[in-house]
Amino acid sequence: MPIRRDIGSWAFALNRLTAIGLTIYLFLHLIVLGRLAQGPGAYDQFLALTENPLIKLGEWAVVAAAILHGLNGIRIILTSFGVGVTRQKQLFYGFMLVALFIILVFTAKMY
Amino acid sequence: MSQSASTSYAGPRPGENTWLWLIKIVTGPLLLIVLGLHLTVNHYMGSTATGLMTHDDVIQYFQNPIIPAIEILFLVTVVTHSLLGLRGILLDMNPSRSVLKIVTWLLVILGVSSVTYGTWLALTIASLGT
Repeated sequence: MPIRRDIGSWAFALNRLTAIGLTIYLFLHLIVLGRLAQGPGAYDQFLALTENPLIKLGEWAVVAAAILHGLNGIRIILTSFGVGVTRQKQLFYGFMLVALFIILVFTAKMY
Repeated sequence: MSQSASTSYAGPRPGENTWLWLIKIVTGPLLLIVLGLHLTVNHYMGSTATGLMTHDDVIQYFQNPIIPAIEILFLVTVVTHSLLGLRGILLDMNPSRSVLKIVTWLLVILGVSSVTYGTWLALTIASLGT
């Protein structure tokens, strides 16, 4: 884990935290989808929960984490192959601005 | 950027197989595409304005054979990417060789089980409409 709290450390931590959160969500999602095999009653009853504001907030967090992780990931791939290595800070800020914009659009559509 | 973060991003970590690292890197952008497709279809198609929000909608959607195929591709990609990523995070904690071997096997078992279960589920959902 990063010790110096500069922007690189935050980028590193953001990648790790979103990765762990998304991995936990992935397996919960797979388990919950098992209700599809149990018939309409089980699945539709579960989907009614998505109207709960807390569940909705959780869904928002998953999508926001996926956008942040995805765009931060593109930056990592670029620098791993030698692209923009000397401009990592600018790349990070740029990708995070794009992420913020997409999250805002998504938030407006969701609520 | 800090030295620690820059070097972590430069390529495979110590103990990380280059091929496994490359698979993680390749599945990343592939996931962005397939996830975008997955979210768009699940939330903008179906009988309601909010997407596939009923059991019947999902069953009907799965009747097109390309759909279970895409969902299974998505499943394999996302499970592979997430478990290789998880292994990468664990590698940062400098585990011993024996611990790493156990962790790797546990992740392989988890990955194979998840893909098997997900594939069964996708095929079961598709069969419910026939």
